[in-house]
Amino acid sequence: MFILGFHFPAELGNNVPDEAVVAKLDESGVDVSGINEIKMFTEYHGQNEELSYTKKDTFMFKALAHYIKTAETDYMIYTNRYQISELSKRLDSDDETMALCKKFDSMAHFKITAA
Amino acid sequence: MAALRQIAFYGKGGIGKSTTSQNTLASMAYYFDKNIMIVGCDPKADSTRLILHEKAQNTILQLAAEMGTVEDLELEDALKPGAGIFSPEMPHGWINCTESGGPEPGVGCAGRGVITAINFLEEEGAYEAEGLDFVSYDVLGDVVCGGFAMPIREGKAQEIYIVMSGEMMAMYAANNISKGILKYANTGGVRLAGLICNARMTDFEYDLAWALARDLGTQMIHFVPRNNIVQRAEIRRMTVVEYSPKADQALEYKELARKIIHNDMKIIPTPLEMDDLEALIMKYGLEDEADVDNIGKAEAEA
Repeated sequence: MFILGFHFPAELGNNVPDEAVVAKLDESGVDVSGINEIKMFTEYHGQNEELSYTKKDTFMFKALAHYIKTAETDYMIYTNRYQISELSKRLDSDDETMALCKKFDSMAHFKITAA
Repeated sequence: MAALRQIAFYGKGGIGKSTTSQNTLASMAYYFDKNIMIVGCDPKADSTRLILHEKAQNTILQLAAEMGTVEDLELEDALKPGAGIFSPEMPHGWINCTESGGPEPGVGCAGRGVITAINFLEEEGAYEAEGLDFVSYDVLGDVVCGGFAMPIREGKAQEIYIVMSGEMMAMYAANNISKGILKYANTGGVRLAGLICNARMTDFEYDLAWALARDLGTQMIHFVPRNNIVQRAEIRRMTVVEYSPKADQALEYKELARKIIHNDMKIIPTPLEMDDLEALIMKYGLEDEADVDNIGKAEAEA
């Protein structure tokens, strides 16, 4: 099973606990301390939008910062984006993050960078 | 040397199975240096077009018909090296291609071509090619008839990837294919390795595909977004990976390829009853549940 690009052994089944995903992020050893703001650019049917996200104490921020540090390009893989949203809805609660989750659930194309 | 893995892509006709499989296999060869043999099991014989840069001119059934019998057929007549970056002369992995073909429309059994093709390839030693890492079958699977179930039934394909979308019939077909896998899981050892959502970009499609995967006991291994670059590459008879290897869509296929290479989740599926499948679609809001009194009535009437 793959979540956020991480491989989880088959014996965990298809219902991997959220804590295991968070632990993978923490254990990945990727230094995200220098990232304070995440910028995203979305495009859908010719409509463009620029987003900024700074809530450093959330799972969402940790996952996005990890993505920026490890992805090959600034393009956001759809599966990873949907999975980040799915997890964030369970692990985070503030309105700003929930609003971003809603945008992540769309069909829009996302680019992501550290500001 | 790693053991040969035999995988298969099944799915409803028209779902984008051949496009998805060729782009994924191209990624496995190009980015991860895997050597692959594609066995096209669709009478349309279009499972290898993007790798060969042309529609396969000689299917196994056509060649056998021309020669009178399949015994007179030579492997090199039916198995063609990929073109461009998939040729054995190029760095990275290579891809060899063959198509089973099928009878003229309305005549004979198309599944018979699949059986003939696999038997021929085995007898000619195609599976023993040096360095071969993967054999991939591309099979249409609306009905899972005996012939099209051949790679499942005989344990040829060990891991099945079902290409589907958030549409009712694609999900119905995915569930049906899972029933076929379940039927032969204990005799042939075949397993369901995941759903691939070749997205139509409808609302809640990810959630719906993931919910079906979860209920089947498997994973939704990757959500492939719709992107016009796929069609642009197809017009040139190329995969996106070859046409534009740094394109966003190429990265999607690369990620799917990486997951398939490392996938260890191969399960016996738990197919759904039809009512449960319909309930799943209702739950994710694609359709409102019909009032019993309104069944069969047009929108203006109801």
